[in-house]
Amino acid sequence: MAETVLELQKIRKQFSDTVVLNGVDLAVKQGEVIVIIGPSGCGKSTLLRCINGLEPIQGGQILFYNERIDTCKDLSLVRQKIGMVFQSYELFPHKTVLENVILAPVKVQRRNKEKVKKEAIELLERMGLGQKINSYPKELSGGQKQRVAIARVLCMHPQVLLFDEVTAALDPEMVHEVLQVILDLAQSGRTMLIVTHEMQFARAIADRICFLENGHILEDTSPKEFFENPKTERAKQFLKTFTYERKQ
Amino acid sequence: MKLKTIVKTFATTLLAVSLTACGQSTQTAKSGTDGYRTLDEIKESGTINIGVFSDKNPFGYVDENGTYQGYDVYFARQIGEDLGVEVNFVSTEAANRIEYLQTGKVDVILANFTVTTDRAKEVDFAKPYMNVSLGVVSPDDKVITSLDDWNSEDEMIVISGTTAETYLMENYPDIKLQKYDSYANAKNALENGNAAAWTNDNTEVIAYALQNEGYTVGIPTLGSNDTIAPAVTKGNETLLNWINDEIVKLGERSFFHEAYEATLADTYGTEYEESLVVEGGKTK
Amino acid sequence: MDLGLEVLFKGQNLMRLLGGLGVALQISLISVGFSIPLGILMGLCMTSQNRIGRFSLRFYLEFIRIMPQLVLLFLVFFGTTRAWGWNISGELSAVIVFTLWGTAEMGDLVRGALQSIPKHQYESAYALGMTTVQTFVSIIFPQAVRRLIPLAINLITRMIKTTSLIVMIGVVEVLKVAQQIIESNRMNSPNAAFIVYLFVFVLYFLACFPISLLARYLEKRWR
Repeated sequence: MAETVLELQKIRKQFSDTVVLNGVDLAVKQGEVIVIIGPSGCGKSTLLRCINGLEPIQGGQILFYNERIDTCKDLSLVRQKIGMVFQSYELFPHKTVLENVILAPVKVQRRNKEKVKKEAIELLERMGLGQKINSYPKELSGGQKQRVAIARVLCMHPQVLLFDEVTAALDPEMVHEVLQVILDLAQSGRTMLIVTHEMQFARAIADRICFLENGHILEDTSPKEFFENPKTERAKQFLKTFTYERKQ
Repeated sequence: MKLKTIVKTFATTLLAVSLTACGQSTQTAKSGTDGYRTLDEIKESGTINIGVFSDKNPFGYVDENGTYQGYDVYFARQIGEDLGVEVNFVSTEAANRIEYLQTGKVDVILANFTVTTDRAKEVDFAKPYMNVSLGVVSPDDKVITSLDDWNSEDEMIVISGTTAETYLMENYPDIKLQKYDSYANAKNALENGNAAAWTNDNTEVIAYALQNEGYTVGIPTLGSNDTIAPAVTKGNETLLNWINDEIVKLGERSFFHEAYEATLADTYGTEYEESLVVEGGKTK
Repeated sequence: MDLGLEVLFKGQNLMRLLGGLGVALQISLISVGFSIPLGILMGLCMTSQNRIGRFSLRFYLEFIRIMPQLVLLFLVFFGTTRAWGWNISGELSAVIVFTLWGTAEMGDLVRGALQSIPKHQYESAYALGMTTVQTFVSIIFPQAVRRLIPLAINLITRMIKTTSLIVMIGVVEVLKVAQQIIESNRMNSPNAAFIVYLFVFVLYFLACFPISLLARYLEKRWR
């Protein structure tokens, strides 16, 4: 059985009086792809942000290879191992595509610049961005920017990848190119936690689906089970919102 | 690293330049405990600080060689000579003359300073050395001869802090004033037609109309006849007494007539000499 | 018509005007030199979490903005003598006032530039494992500086032009020299004003133009 990479135990997160996450338990195994879905405002994004240390938690603990990281002083170390891609593809506008990708490996990890460059170029070429390495972000489409953002995270050699609604801000015709990249990553055996609203994509990529509602994980099951035979009433209702029927 | 060297050079120059800037300046001497220097302190220091105008030809101005000239300056030089000290001329503006005296940053003001009761509360005036009253100059095509039927639309130019300003505010509160900080700005304003007329010391407007074609002094004497006198910091009796004695003494040899002929005659002609000059501190 | 061109070349007049420009530039550029680092510091503090600090800096900024520069000049030059008997020279008073003013304005510009950087820029950098210092140095400052340059240049040229006020505390700068020259020649060259002011305009231009050139160069380089 594969090793547990990341473990969340009874995570509790609140913004002043509003409780966003109320006792979330989740274990992520090596090479597993977990898709977290749920209605807007259920705390999906917050969950990812807590794992990455962008939000402090008020209860429970987060373990990475059995070590607590939520109390860890050096968040930088944690973040190098757990990469995160955001919805709003924020590249650094004053740096070229290549500079965006190599910045953190060189500055944070102090790796050899030439080697990182070589690796970054290969990575970008594989993502179909070989022509764009010297472009500035403002010269790219949304889909291209998001792919650069993914390359930027991959170049750090993270052990877990967090994707926070990475296609939500994209035009529909660009969604596909980005999801394809993530699908390829899944096939190469990456451990990933994905928050998305693309149900077909979720079904295709996920090893497990977690349905998050009101700060709880209501269902944690295989995609087949979840989409064909959801157990809870809330999940059924939620899935219904993705189908359309003409009223007779 | 390139940036570092630039920053370093910049910082060093900055420091050096600012130090020179701070070091180079203070010729204005220390102000004593009372905010002024006594006669003895001035003599001891070897320099007297005299505030004059630097852009008011022919009373106080700077010539093309950077040397102070004019009627006030002529008197100032005589003071320096008779005291046996150097004169350090400080360029003052109408609006800061009192402030300069009260803070002791100059010992004497000789900047065409008209004696008024209000000012006499703030500074001490010595005996007068010139007569002055107000006058109003306006363009030839619309000469203003009286302020009593003033058109409420029109504005009047004055220089801030002058007698003209206070006189008009007290006696003609309905006249809208356009105030300027310096003589040159006021002059520009009149010439650009920003206002209907300009009220200033009558010597000024007479000279102005003589030199600038197209302008007439419609009102040559406005208000009471005033005098111009040196001023010292309030309470500086030793200096005040010395200047008073000096004026009397100089009067014995018609010094101020000599000064008039050397500096003012070119501008006003000799016809105004007797009415303008006050000799020996005695007004007629 | 006699334009009075010869007035410019009479005696020491040309050198006096240049000297006056030197005074104006020296005072404004020294002040700028102090204002930029102090303003950056102030801008950083204005974006900090400390409420009391933020409030007092805000208060300082508003105070300096409301006060006419002339009043500040009088306060420092005459006021300190009245209150404490200090004798600060006119030049130093001017540098102090212009630095107080420049720091306030520069601080507000820096604050604005920093706050205009989206929160996501910080988060993206943090999520890549960058420390706060690395984030500021590599991500935030370079972007803020780009936004800052045109505004800072505007401030610098404004400071150079505002030096014309320092004549009120007895410092004779280029504009005052110009007025002196016009005045002392008002009898022989009554039209000299135009040519003298034109020359002063050219001097100001020559002083400010290289600064805009430098700004344009930097903007291009850091695009």
